[in-house]
Amino acid sequence: MNKFLLYIFLLPKALWKVLGADLPQLKAILKVKLMLDDRRPLTMGRAQSKKKPTRFMTVLSVFLSAVMGFMYSMPLMLEDKFMALWLYFSTFLLMLSFLLISDFSTVLFDTRDKTILLPRPINERTLLLSRLLHMFIYLFRIVVPMSLGGWIVLGMTQGWKAVVWFPLPIIMLTIIALFLVNAAYLLVLRFSKPGKFKDIINYFQIAFSMLFFVTVYLMPRVVESKGFQELQHAHYPWISFTPTYWLAATWSWVQQDKVWAATQWLSVLAIIGPLFLVWLTVKYLSPSFAKRIGNIDIVGLGETKAVNQVKVKQSRQSQLYIRLANLLNKNPLEKAGFSIAWLQTDRSRNFKMRVYPMFAFVPVYFFYMITLNRKRSIAETWENLSNSHTHILLLYMTSFVVMNLLAMLVHSDQYKASWIYYSTPIEKPGAVMNGAFKGIWVKYFVPIFTTVSCFVLYTWGLKSLLDIVLAFVNITLFGVAILRVAYRRLPFSAMEKMNEKGNRFFKTMFVMIFPVALGLGHAMADSSQSLWWMKILFIILSAVLLWLIWDSYKNTSWDEVKKVDLSS
Amino acid sequence: MQPLISLQNVSKQYGEKTVLNNVNIDIFPAQIIGYIGPNGAGKSTTVKILTGVIQDYTGLVTINGRDIKEDILGLKQMIGYVPELADLYDLLTPNEYLHFIGALYNLPDFIIKERSQKILQSFGLLENIDQRMDSFSKGMRQKVLLTAGILHNPSIVILDEPMSGLDANAVIVVKELLQVLKQEGKTIFYCSHMMDVVEKVSDRIVLIDKGTIIANDTIEALRDGSDNSLEKIFAKMTTSENLNETAENIAQAMQDK
Repeated sequence: MNKFLLYIFLLPKALWKVLGADLPQLKAILKVKLMLDDRRPLTMGRAQSKKKPTRFMTVLSVFLSAVMGFMYSMPLMLEDKFMALWLYFSTFLLMLSFLLISDFSTVLFDTRDKTILLPRPINERTLLLSRLLHMFIYLFRIVVPMSLGGWIVLGMTQGWKAVVWFPLPIIMLTIIALFLVNAAYLLVLRFSKPGKFKDIINYFQIAFSMLFFVTVYLMPRVVESKGFQELQHAHYPWISFTPTYWLAATWSWVQQDKVWAATQWLSVLAIIGPLFLVWLTVKYLSPSFAKRIGNIDIVGLGETKAVNQVKVKQSRQSQLYIRLANLLNKNPLEKAGFSIAWLQTDRSRNFKMRVYPMFAFVPVYFFYMITLNRKRSIAETWENLSNSHTHILLLYMTSFVVMNLLAMLVHSDQYKASWIYYSTPIEKPGAVMNGAFKGIWVKYFVPIFTTVSCFVLYTWGLKSLLDIVLAFVNITLFGVAILRVAYRRLPFSAMEKMNEKGNRFFKTMFVMIFPVALGLGHAMADSSQSLWWMKILFIILSAVLLWLIWDSYKNTSWDEVKKVDLSS
Repeated sequence: MQPLISLQNVSKQYGEKTVLNNVNIDIFPAQIIGYIGPNGAGKSTTVKILTGVIQDYTGLVTINGRDIKEDILGLKQMIGYVPELADLYDLLTPNEYLHFIGALYNLPDFIIKERSQKILQSFGLLENIDQRMDSFSKGMRQKVLLTAGILHNPSIVILDEPMSGLDANAVIVVKELLQVLKQEGKTIFYCSHMMDVVEKVSDRIVLIDKGTIIANDTIEALRDGSDNSLEKIFAKMTTSENLNETAENIAQAMQDK
């Protein structure tokens, strides 16, 4: 794949030479950059576990882009072609911009360029050209597979004219996306300290992975719904002010009829608009951009002055964890575990990347599950929600968050820093582990469970209170049980996704089956009004079991931790 | 006098490979021991045994005459360990990190606060106490690690390349610190490749090569009347190669067509 792209983009050799590039150098730089791209983890689907070492990421990202492209080419089937194209281009633009904002920064500001490339005898033209070509290849790899779905669908339904027409709006759309990305970066750089830049990009990445699975899960549902299929662009006059509407208007060059003729003049904007944006970018954005990138470079190299550093304010919020730590923990070891879990999860980008999207996963997946029954419309399902037993499903869905939380409690990219536990006089590692568990339980699980509970109470009423208590006990039981069985380790001490040998199969089965079993048991107790006493019995039993397992977990000894260390 | 730390016939194997082979060292109180050896000689394994991180060795290690395996926690409480450019949770601030470490040593909050502020101030790092360490330079991190190593007032301090990344003034501070700690009766176990520093600060020099102790004496005794520097003595004892020739070979390689 890379070889092919490199070959294609280096074909106009004479042109690059005329532009002043040194070809062997240009080729060497591009080759390495593409290789690096290949080994960098993806933004897309980063929430999934990366079992394999990061390689061939290009092929994977092309594939994922293509899948996503097909997903949102679905609206193209709409009766009202105008609406269809508008929706298609809008989702495309949204997706592309988010993807670029979250991923492009690594291409744009590779700080290593400064130390590796600048001291070498490379002329400026070569350097500039290598950057530009790299960006083109990068865009090419994303935009082409992303638009493939739409291209095929249009070609099949509208004929060859559509196939010829299609690349034009896509190119214009890419230009708009590039402008948005530029503007977004500039805004971030303008209004945040350079050190915060990566953090903000991180939030874009999180938002992107949420968007990604929202599209995958909900797009088919929405497209199927009746209300959606009857959408008419005439009902929404405001959309004619959006650039994606102008792009859609270029369709009038292919298909002439009355409706289209009325808005044909807007299609001119589809050409003028992006060209104007290019001018704007070159004239105003790029210069101030280059200036500000300089600042990021400094941070990236770690040669900082105190001015540039992120100062952690001793605000009320940071006092909160100390107060909570004192309140919820008895001994200093527990407190230490509690604070490290709290602070580390507060700031680790990797943690946020893995866990935050899960918060959105709960409602999205719930919606997906309750609409599985296609005979009912979405509105009907919604109205009958309070008569169903799906609140139990919703409550137990929070165990997805728990699974990710706990995995990220023991796994960390900073696992090496855990040497400290081994050289300090810790009598029982279980105390630190217990504190850390409490830390993330209070910080993440309790808030999300409370939110879900409020929704359940609001929709299903007070009668669901018992269910909420039972689910809370059961999911906590599940959490402690996973920790005890699968992750009996010190916080942030394990390398991510080490190949855990041994009874891995058993552990995986346990993690999968246990919450389902608890949930099913709960659902059975909920099957009849007269079984309310079973829930109370269930609560008591689960609480006893929870207490037993928790006790064993918090008394974990060094020998037990080492056994786990050895077996992995 | 009874040695404070004593290693007797200590051996350690990783699978087939013998890393330490019958190591015997006695360390007396208020001494600075310079522990040197080529890469892969077994230095860090020795340090890991002394800090209680590795426990599956053969032989006997005693502190104050007691087998360390009997009271590993007591041992860890006595020892302050500063690994070479070790990883730390750099998303935390020095203040947060030191509070975390202090809690692991069971120190009360007010003591952690007081000591860490004083030590960091001496290192010139007080103004950075509430900044995240991910933007710190090597030297700044090393200062935090040093602070974390001595925060609990240990009686034995084990330092592995403590000077790496430090600027010239900080090196002077650490060298002085070693002397002050020694005067306070603390024992210092100092691992380094910087021969000139080891030569100056150590009371005794222990040289390990391929898992075996090949020298254990004062610098004067090692010189044996000659005026050789420790660097030369080290080279003589640990390599049969002619190092000048090696350098010439490297230079030669660039000339070849």
